[in-house]
Amino acid sequence: MTEIKHHAYLFDATRCIDCRACMVACSVENNIEMDKTRIWVSGVGVKGEFPNLQRATMVYHCMHCEHPDCMSACPVGAYSKRPDGPVVYNPEKCIGCRYCMNACPFGVPHFDYDKGIVEGAFIDKCTFCPQRIDVGEEPACVHTCPTDALEYGEREELLKKAHERIAAHPERYIQHVYGEFENGGTSYLIISHVPFEELGLPTLPEKPINEVSETAVGLTLPVALGWGAALTAVTVGVSLLKKKSAAEDEAEKKPEAEK
Amino acid sequence: MKLNITIQPRFRIGLFPLTLLVFMGIAAFIALWRYIYGIGAISNLSNSYPWGFWVSFDLFTGIAISSGAFVIASLVYIFGLEQFRPLVRPTLVTALLGYVMEGMALLVELGQPHRIWYFLRYQNFTSFLLFIGLYVMIYIVVLTVEFAPAVFERLKWDKAAALLKRWMKPVVIFGAVISTLHQASLGSLLLIQPAKLHPLWWTPWIPPLFFVSAVAIGLAMTIFESSMTSRYFKRALETHLLEKLARGLPFVLGFYLVMRFVQLTLEGKLSLLFASGGMSLLFWAEILIGVLLPIVLFSFKRVRTSPGSLLTGALLTLAGMILNRFDVSWFAVKHYDPLTYAPAFMGKVTYFPSITEILVSVGIFSFGILAFGLAVKYLPVLEPEHHGAHAGD
Repeated sequence: MTEIKHHAYLFDATRCIDCRACMVACSVENNIEMDKTRIWVSGVGVKGEFPNLQRATMVYHCMHCEHPDCMSACPVGAYSKRPDGPVVYNPEKCIGCRYCMNACPFGVPHFDYDKGIVEGAFIDKCTFCPQRIDVGEEPACVHTCPTDALEYGEREELLKKAHERIAAHPERYIQHVYGEFENGGTSYLIISHVPFEELGLPTLPEKPINEVSETAVGLTLPVALGWGAALTAVTVGVSLLKKKSAAEDEAEKKPEAEK
Repeated sequence: MKLNITIQPRFRIGLFPLTLLVFMGIAAFIALWRYIYGIGAISNLSNSYPWGFWVSFDLFTGIAISSGAFVIASLVYIFGLEQFRPLVRPTLVTALLGYVMEGMALLVELGQPHRIWYFLRYQNFTSFLLFIGLYVMIYIVVLTVEFAPAVFERLKWDKAAALLKRWMKPVVIFGAVISTLHQASLGSLLLIQPAKLHPLWWTPWIPPLFFVSAVAIGLAMTIFESSMTSRYFKRALETHLLEKLARGLPFVLGFYLVMRFVQLTLEGKLSLLFASGGMSLLFWAEILIGVLLPIVLFSFKRVRTSPGSLLTGALLTLAGMILNRFDVSWFAVKHYDPLTYAPAFMGKVTYFPSITEILVSVGIFSFGILAFGLAVKYLPVLEPEHHGAHAGD
């Protein structure tokens, strides 16, 4: 197998049959507790009236953004982005503030609300199965998918594949690859026969949404220095003025006192 | 008590402090429960709503109402308006307690409370939350230094008090800078949520808007807290000072109002003002209660000189501005829910705080009120009632 420079998933909603084998495979591979999961199936389920039924479901897990908002938000740097795609969470640094959950536009990270202080309450999310992809295997969810709704490979190649498939069946697909540009691009690409909102995906701009926040945070030091200088100037100015007026008062009082 | 201090008036527990102690006990018990069984056991927070009442109340409101300290300290030390000096220490106590309370709330709220100091160990400098954590730590130190002379006076360490007072101006300037950044950064926490916060509130102008409204909250809070202390401790109200603060409020609020509407106009969001249903209602409640009404009220001298109307005006300002903090951090935040068709574990998409969640905050707040009362009683916080010898100079 050739080495992959940028790992990515491609999900084709027309192929998903909602069997949830991916959820089971993920939980087994990553030893996830019974009532928790890193993958969930979203969407409107079965739509329409018999006999015109249509299924619209999607396998939902971490999008592995190119500009991760969780990573931008995390105060202690528990998140990192591997150069080859995966967004990784490190529980060793996590303080459990849950700001990443607020920041993630996809609502991906979830938290151990049922864990006390001894066990430790951490964030959990899809890891991209580094234990598999680093030895040249597919992630567990992709490996198990019976209909090839989930595919895995080089991001560039998957993008090409997605566009080719849409072009080959324009009547079947929406003319858009979700994740190519959304939020600055993601490593989880989606093509679908129904509008992406119906699969539970937010409508996001092409610019990474953490751009405003990161620009503002960059202004901290200049604002601090400028504001500090301004306040110092006012302090010095006011006390000089006060001294001056006090000296003038003194000068006025002196002749009176001498009398 | 070998030190040369007499505790006066004599320590007696009245009904009010006793109630506060009971609330604190309840909160401590709930916190213990949380440490054993997890945050889910005491709160309605969920994967869809990771931040709720605690963040809105303890963090956003708690820090906002602590802004009186830097506003009054700046007036006295930076702008040289000595007449406000009697207000410095009460506002310092409020702020110090506000920040300590915020720290206590975090100890319940964080998944790993014992790692609260990790802000000092690992840093990610693109995160506003990191800066907020650092500001809280730094500002608690600054406030302690600013308040230390009061404690030194009580202990009769006159030399230390005098030395500290000589260096007070740089400390106050530093504190004002940290405070400004902190108040602005609180709002900036929401900058990363353009997809979640309602467009009436999400704007890159959040940092300056938060700062200006924090100044208004600081002034209103100072009026409120002076009124309450004068009532509870049966002291004469410093109406002549509060009148001057109240005179400043319409200008600050007016500036905020202009800024807010310029922002909405420039961003082309004026059409949302009436078209967003409940969100429009919240917006107008904020503006009417917290901004317009106080501007009108405080423009009348009669209102500014009557203790009752002063308190009413301050309460209106606080209510409107705190509503703003709740809107930004809770009511106007629509947590995006991909789970229209999902396993039950993440199905909970509405959020309303549980009783235990509220009781934790009530307990922490009770601690604040009790500590404020004790500080006022046993430390030279308030000006001696008869004008003459200054405690502050």
